[in-house]
Amino acid sequence: MIRFTDVVVRYPNGTVGLDGIDLTIRDGEFVVVVGLSGAGKSTLVRTINGLVPVTSGELAVGESRVDGAGKRALRDLRARVGMIFQSFNLVTRTTVLKNVLVGRLHSTPTLLTLLGVARKADVEIAFQALERVGIVEKAYTRASQLSGGQQQRVAIARVLAQQPEVILADEPVASLDPPTANLVMRDLQRINRELGITTIVNLHFLDLARAYGQRIIGMRGGRIVFDGPPEEADDAVFAQIYGRSLTADDILPDTPVELGPTAT
Amino acid sequence: MTAPVAVRPPKPRPALGMWSLLAASVVITIVAGSAIDFDLLPLFSDTTRGWFIVSQFFAPDWSYLGRTVAPLLDTLAIAVVATAFGCVLALGAAMLASRITTRNGAIYRTSKAVLSVLRSLPDVVWGMLFVAFVGVGALAGMLALVAFNVGIIAKLTAETIDAVDPGPLEAADAAGANSVQRARVAVVPQILPNFASYSLYVFELNVRASVVLGFVGAGGIGTQIAVELARFNYDNLSAIIVVLFVVVFAIDQISGVLRRRLAS
Repeated sequence: MIRFTDVVVRYPNGTVGLDGIDLTIRDGEFVVVVGLSGAGKSTLVRTINGLVPVTSGELAVGESRVDGAGKRALRDLRARVGMIFQSFNLVTRTTVLKNVLVGRLHSTPTLLTLLGVARKADVEIAFQALERVGIVEKAYTRASQLSGGQQQRVAIARVLAQQPEVILADEPVASLDPPTANLVMRDLQRINRELGITTIVNLHFLDLARAYGQRIIGMRGGRIVFDGPPEEADDAVFAQIYGRSLTADDILPDTPVELGPTAT
Repeated sequence: MTAPVAVRPPKPRPALGMWSLLAASVVITIVAGSAIDFDLLPLFSDTTRGWFIVSQFFAPDWSYLGRTVAPLLDTLAIAVVATAFGCVLALGAAMLASRITTRNGAIYRTSKAVLSVLRSLPDVVWGMLFVAFVGVGALAGMLALVAFNVGIIAKLTAETIDAVDPGPLEAADAAGANSVQRARVAVVPQILPNFASYSLYVFELNVRASVVLGFVGAGGIGTQIAVELARFNYDNLSAIIVVLFVVVFAIDQISGVLRRRLAS
C-alpha cells in the first residue's frame, strides 16, 4: 500500500509541484494519472521512489517511510519500486542483457559490478524478464539498434528484473507511435494482472487512460481533482481536469475504446 | 492579397567588442615582439655559420642505425607503460572530478584542483622533479609521464562525463544502485569510446614527450640524442632523427586510424 498524507512538494525555484496530496493506493492496483503538463503528475510519481524529495507531509510505501529517508533507506526502497521512463533511459551503447541486469544492481555486490561480472542467477532472472516482454531474441543486440517500442520493452524487462512490488511509469508511451503505445500499455496491464505488481502510470492521452486504467486520478495545479473508475471519467470530467473542452489532440488514434461525442 | 506590413528590423550595430578584442590582440603581439627584440634577420644572415652542421645533417651515418634500436625501444616502452598507468588512474580521477559521478562538493572541488596542479607543470619539469626524486633512468621518465597524462586524460574525460545522457543514470538510481555501480554501468559505457581516444592521443604525446624527457636524464632515445649532441656527432644525430620521424609518424597514423574508428 502507498499512502500520501498531506504531501507538499515545493521545488527550490518556488514552484509548487504537489499541493497537499492525500491518496491511498492499494496493492495490485493499476492506476493511471492524467493531467496537463505541469499539473504535478510526474512529481506525484517521482515522490514515490524519492527521486523528488517531499517538502512536508508523510509518504509511506508499505512499511517504509519515503519522506526523510536516508541514502541507504532510499536505495532499499528503490530496489522494491521499479521505474519506466518516457525516453526509455537505456545505455544504448551496451547490450539489451546488460541493460536488463541494471535491475539486479540493488542486490549485487559493488565489487562484482565493478569487475563487470554477472552472477548466473541474475542472468537467469534477466532472461526470464526478457521472455515475459517477448524480446529475448535481442538479448545480445546493442540497445541502440532497437526501435522505440522495443527499447521500452527492454526498460520494462529491466524493471521486472528488479522483482519489484511497485512499478512507476512516467509517460511511458509519449515517445511512441499509437499502435506501439497500445502494445506497451497492454504489456504493462498484463504484467499487473499476472504478477499483481501495483502499477502507477502517467499518461497524456485520455483514451489510453480510459482503456487501460482500473482507477483514474486527474491532477490540476498540484491537486487531485478526480479519483475514480474509468466509467465515471467522462468527457465533462476530463474537461474539468484539463480546464477546457477536449479536442482531437487529446485523443490518440487507433485506440480500441468508445469515444464520447465531443472527442471526435 | 497583401501580406500584413511587418516592420523590417534595422541592421544591428557592428559588434564593437569583437573589433576591440582583435585590435587589443594586435597591440599585445607588437608589444610582446618588441620586448624580446624580435628580429627575423639572423635567419638569413647567420645561416652560413651553421652550414657545415646542416651539411652533416644531410649525410646521416646509416651504420649508426643499429645502435638506435635499443634506446628507441626503451622510449616506446616508457610511453606504453606510462600510458597504461596514466589512463587507469585518470579514469578514477575523472570520476571524482565530475559533478555527475561525484555528488560530494568537497571531493569534486579538491579533485579538480589537484588535476589543474598536475597540468600546470610541463612534462619536462615533471621529468626533472622525478629525476631528482628517484634518480636518472626510465622510472623517472615514466613517473613524469604518468603525472602529466593523468592531468590531461582526467580533464578531458571528466568533461565527457559532464555531457553524458543523464537518462541511464536516472534509471540506475531508480533501480537502487549505489554511486559506484551507477558510474560503472551507466557512465563507463557512454564515455568508453572517448576515453580510449584520449588515451591513444596521449600515447602519441608520450612517444614525443619521452624523447624530450631523455634530455633531462629520464632514459631512452632522448638521452642518446643528448649524448650525440654533446659530442657534435651530427651525422649520428641525423640518423636518430630520421628514425624518430618514421616511428612517430607511423604511430600517429595508426593511432589516428584507431581513433577515427572509435568515433564512429
